[in-house]
Amino acid sequence: MNTDLNMKVNVLPVYTYNFLRVNDSTLDASDITIDSVESPVPAAVPQGVSLKSGVSFDEAGEVFRANKDKILVSTGVPGEPNGDTSARDNEQAVRTGMGVDVDKLFISTGAKCDVYTVEEGTVVKEPIVLRFDMKNGNGRLASQVIHAKKNSEITVIMDYTSEDDKEAAGFLGVSTRVLAEEGARVILVKTQMLGNGYLHFDDLGGACYEKGAIRLVTLELGAQKVWTGSYMNLTAKEADFTSDVAYLSREDHHMDINFVADHRGKKTNALMQFKGVLMDEAQKTLRFTIDFKNGSAGSVGDEQEDVLLLGDDVINRTMPIILCQEEDMDGRHGATIGQLGEDLLFYMQTRGIDEEEAKRIMVKARLDSVARLIPDEALAQRAQHYIQNII
Amino acid sequence: MSDNKQIVADIDRSLYDFKDVESEKDFYRMAEGLTRETVLKVSEEKNDPEWMRDFRLKCLELYEEIKMPNWGPSIEGLDMDRISSYVRHKSDMKGKWEDVPEDIKNTFEKLGIPQAERESLAGVGAQYDSELVYHNVKDEVAAQGVIYTDLESALHGEYADMIKEHFMKLVPPTDHKFAALHGAVWSGGSFVYVPKGVKVDIPLQSYFRLNAAGAGQFEHTLIIVDEGADLHFIEGCSAPKYNVANLHAGCVELFVGKGARLRYSTIENWSKNMYNLNTKRAVVEENGIMEWVSGSFGSHTSYLYPMTILKGDNSKMEFTGITFAGKGQNLDTGAKVVHIGERTSSVISTKSISKDGGIGTYRSSVTIQKTAKKAKASVSCDSLMLDSISRADTVPAMDIRTNDADVGHEAKIGRISDEAIFYLMSRGISEEDAKAMIVSGFANPVSKELPLEYAVEMNNLIKLEMSGH
Repeated sequence: MNTDLNMKVNVLPVYTYNFLRVNDSTLDASDITIDSVESPVPAAVPQGVSLKSGVSFDEAGEVFRANKDKILVSTGVPGEPNGDTSARDNEQAVRTGMGVDVDKLFISTGAKCDVYTVEEGTVVKEPIVLRFDMKNGNGRLASQVIHAKKNSEITVIMDYTSEDDKEAAGFLGVSTRVLAEEGARVILVKTQMLGNGYLHFDDLGGACYEKGAIRLVTLELGAQKVWTGSYMNLTAKEADFTSDVAYLSREDHHMDINFVADHRGKKTNALMQFKGVLMDEAQKTLRFTIDFKNGSAGSVGDEQEDVLLLGDDVINRTMPIILCQEEDMDGRHGATIGQLGEDLLFYMQTRGIDEEEAKRIMVKARLDSVARLIPDEALAQRAQHYIQNII
Repeated sequence: MSDNKQIVADIDRSLYDFKDVESEKDFYRMAEGLTRETVLKVSEEKNDPEWMRDFRLKCLELYEEIKMPNWGPSIEGLDMDRISSYVRHKSDMKGKWEDVPEDIKNTFEKLGIPQAERESLAGVGAQYDSELVYHNVKDEVAAQGVIYTDLESALHGEYADMIKEHFMKLVPPTDHKFAALHGAVWSGGSFVYVPKGVKVDIPLQSYFRLNAAGAGQFEHTLIIVDEGADLHFIEGCSAPKYNVANLHAGCVELFVGKGARLRYSTIENWSKNMYNLNTKRAVVEENGIMEWVSGSFGSHTSYLYPMTILKGDNSKMEFTGITFAGKGQNLDTGAKVVHIGERTSSVISTKSISKDGGIGTYRSSVTIQKTAKKAKASVSCDSLMLDSISRADTVPAMDIRTNDADVGHEAKIGRISDEAIFYLMSRGISEEDAKAMIVSGFANPVSKELPLEYAVEMNNLIKLEMSGH
């Protein structure tokens, strides 16, 4: 099937100055070939986990729709920030970072969804690995729901790769929706090493109940144009979302990111860390938002970005937003954007390391710091090898 | 401790809330609404040169074309059909305080303006509704060649060409809907020119009072600080509260020459029925310095983001601001900076306090263009939430287009910590005093940047009354 894409995605939770052109992003591409609308099947499904394949996108969202009151719980007085855009995504089963247009694409193309259900109390030791092997000319839409019942634990690794074909071109669109029930823990690992001609989007939406936790580790290294988003509903006491994202964007590549942590329960915790490197003419827009809803007393939110600008023609846009309607909270953000510090370079030079080598070391160090978090040794090594080749 | 909630009283605005009845005999008031006829009438009242009349009409067209902003506080309560664009006293502007009409003089006497002029200012302009009613600059400052006059006089005098060259060039009417509105019906405001190398030791001040109900104030301030010159300009604003909406859509354009320095301080205390949609912008040439000090306390709704364009190499800007959003207020404030020149630097430091259902939003943008090699930018914004029925949002943006910029950004939202109060109380300080000390300390980075008289005024405005249970 061939289709045109014209989606408004990654809409900021609150609009700001239009001249900045960061309020949203347009995913616009014509005549995209889609030769698969199914997710890859893992080598094995562990005991205590059930897999229901080929479910319609809409039906797969039922678990969220049925629990909407619990996910969108409001324990305080609701109030809207200036320029609020939340109504736009109300019809989603669960809100995602990229928003409702992604859902519409999956529904309109008849793309299928795989639903993984982890039974209550089940702790799965071995990760489930979903390998998206994307060759030159491939086009794919893939969607999955991960439902971790009470006190269960699971790790899912999503490996987007074009193997050794660095110049492969194509399209890969992925939607993942995660529900971590009370005390459940979901670790989601995403490595993206697609060919330089790839158009890629990766959308994530999730909800954590009391003491439920979602941990995200993401390494974005390839593809020409990447849109990615994440929206986490921290619905009840001590719900937790932690994300470590590292990205490398180079040549004329574009990267567009929108992360939101929605604190609704008491003593919820969100930590979002981004480490990035921009080279050549790369462009990146990062929107990340901590939203303390009224009633989220005792919550903590922290968002940090550290970007290394290495190309003469790079463009870096960062929007670190905090929305707050709760007195008892602790919200902070920080961003450091620039080149390597002169002190660091001087130190390196005193150790006999020239500037270019120092840059290589620092680029590798910040990407490796996230690559090391990948709980699959072979994949971690492959990622580190990929990084080494680039720099 | 955790059950002891601090109580911070509303700002006492009674000082500013007296109303002077404006009789038809003494005041001319234009009919409500905005039409071509209204604009032509304002132009006629102002005795505009032809180019200005045409400019106003062009601005009206733009106002009708440009959409309302989609990103800030709601301004649905503002109905231009119920706003009078022009209200003036029937007497002319005076150069001597004793000649100012008695009713207006009383207003400014209550606000302490003439006293401030006598004690600590190099010159004063006082605007009442749509027109300046008094303008004076001290002889020794005038002798230095400093021009401080009303904009209308300047339009017809020897500086007419300079006005034409600069007027709404920095804030073009295409900028946004209310810049276009301003261009169409602007009235009043000041023109300041500080010649090359002249340093004005004590500040100039403009004070704006919007006394009429259901009226708009659209003053235009144009300041040119020439090469190597130095100026501190202060503006203050207030209005009594009415049950109908008032509108302030002023415009400030500041030109800072090579090696010059301009400090622009504002204490804004419009009443809580005011829509404050003000636009301020500065352009800074090589080695020039622009400093903003901004205190926002009043208004029902504010859109206020002073912008600085660091055009020249090595130019600098500092913005220090505080916003206090209380009951019924939605104050959307911050700053914008654009780095163009090499080795330019900017520092934005803001504080905001939200209480009693007030909404305080810090909004900013830092843009570093490709040409701004070795630029440095630092942004720090702290918000204090005093209860859980208020809002404190921060919406910053950074757009960096050169690889050797150095940009740092940090923000923090929190409340008065129980531990800090406990610590101070363990040193023998009462709970109320401890809370007062913490809030005063929070506001201190702004008040210390103001001249003493204005720091006192700001502290009066904050007037935090603490009590515990």
